[in-house]
Amino acid sequence: MTNPIQSGTAIAERAIQPGLVVRRRWQQHLLTFLMVFGPGLIVMEADNDAGAVSTYVQAGGQYGLHLLWILLLLLPITYFVQEMVARLGIATGKGHAAMIYERFGKWWGHFSLFDLLLVNFLTLITEFAAISLALSEMGVSPWIAVPISAAGLIALVVTGSYLRWERTVIVLCLLDVVWFALAFVVHPRWSAVAHNSFFPNLPAGPITGDLIFLIIAIVGTTIAPWQLFFQQSCVAEKRLRFSDLKWARLDTLIGATFTVLVAAAMMIVGNCGFRHAIPFQDPAQVAQALVPIAGHFVRNGILLLMVNAAVLGTTAISLASAWAYGEVRGWPHSLHKKMWEAPGFYSIYIACVALAAAIVLVPHMPLQLVIVSVQVFAGIILPSAIVFLQLLLNDRALLGERWVNRPWNNWINWTIIVVLFALSLLLAAQVALPRLFS
Amino acid sequence: MATLHNSYACEGFRVVHPLNDTPEQKCATDGIGPIAITPGVRISLIVLRGYLVLMTAMLGWRVLELAGLLHGSK
Repeated sequence: MTNPIQSGTAIAERAIQPGLVVRRRWQQHLLTFLMVFGPGLIVMEADNDAGAVSTYVQAGGQYGLHLLWILLLLLPITYFVQEMVARLGIATGKGHAAMIYERFGKWWGHFSLFDLLLVNFLTLITEFAAISLALSEMGVSPWIAVPISAAGLIALVVTGSYLRWERTVIVLCLLDVVWFALAFVVHPRWSAVAHNSFFPNLPAGPITGDLIFLIIAIVGTTIAPWQLFFQQSCVAEKRLRFSDLKWARLDTLIGATFTVLVAAAMMIVGNCGFRHAIPFQDPAQVAQALVPIAGHFVRNGILLLMVNAAVLGTTAISLASAWAYGEVRGWPHSLHKKMWEAPGFYSIYIACVALAAAIVLVPHMPLQLVIVSVQVFAGIILPSAIVFLQLLLNDRALLGERWVNRPWNNWINWTIIVVLFALSLLLAAQVALPRLFS
Repeated sequence: MATLHNSYACEGFRVVHPLNDTPEQKCATDGIGPIAITPGVRISLIVLRGYLVLMTAMLGWRVLELAGLLHGSK
């Protein structure tokens, strides 16, 4: 960092060196953290996308607060998985798709990419469907809402500045604190919230196929395959350094905690419908039905936050696809580049957004079925995605001893993989024998 | 490794944004070939491939059933 030619005086050095000088150690730590902060929060909060809003509100609307404890269980799982991704990204400076392609060969590279692009694209359809649904409920025609949203989402990334994109998206993430206000306004029984958060239990009655389907959907929406690809590419894009790992971990932990709290707030809002026997159809219908009970603030809040969630999900998921495709094809793939410098990368992003938006304008889309199905699909392919992550994090030839998983990492992650596979097999059993749980 | 730069202790600590910092030498795949996996892991990956195809097909069937597109479904 020190230029030997001009290092004679502190003033000259200060003039040529990048960065800021602070006087205190804690200021240095705080500032470094703020500079590193972003990918962890974004990847977690963007996962509270439109499908997640729908799933959590549905869980609250159909089963009250009984499934809150699942969120608490998912908090460490999301953190451990994403910490591995951040570590791999910092160690290699490359995205997840590139690592699978380079280490496992073309077949698995293309297979993983195909899986990712398929589930991502289906998810994007649900994001735009939610935008259409929420804004229709507010009186805006889908023919206006969807194209304008798509145009805004494209404009967000084509400016050729990663930092501009990141700062905008962080603001959108922080808007989700409004969910906490909504949760307070609907006056839940906080003792029941605490009890159901810390003491696992299931709703009264038989374990039905629908309940299992919903639990797998909750898992599928809380930890999604695109998150692995997104955060690693994002970390590489931001060029995080080895010394940033501890701050990247803190970023990830804050993101995971915030996301789970927001998800719990969504479930609490859904629970308001459950308490008043409002049958769940979709979050927009619940928002409308809650007007006589909770007022227009809750209705408008749910609808606007649905749009925000969809916008967050769309930009992160489309970027995950564009980064992954660019990595595997060897194209320039960076938000630092202008459109003409990385045409393939931007074309993929724009195509994902524009096609999903166009499909949503096709009449009579079964939104709720698409949302839940996509999340179950994500739940199916997630364990295998984590298997590859686990193998990569044990690749001593690539990472050396410094970055590979410790034995306790491996124990935790294999446990997570086993649990996720068990949930997948439950789904298989339910599909093959629909009467098994009825 | 230039997150902080403490060349002048009396002046404090320099903090550099990752995007403005000197690039680091990362762990590279050049010349190390494909990942070393045991035959057991290789077989597991083949099984995983079949599992993913099967599960995807079953989910597709379930979705079509829920959508009412299969004969005799609700």
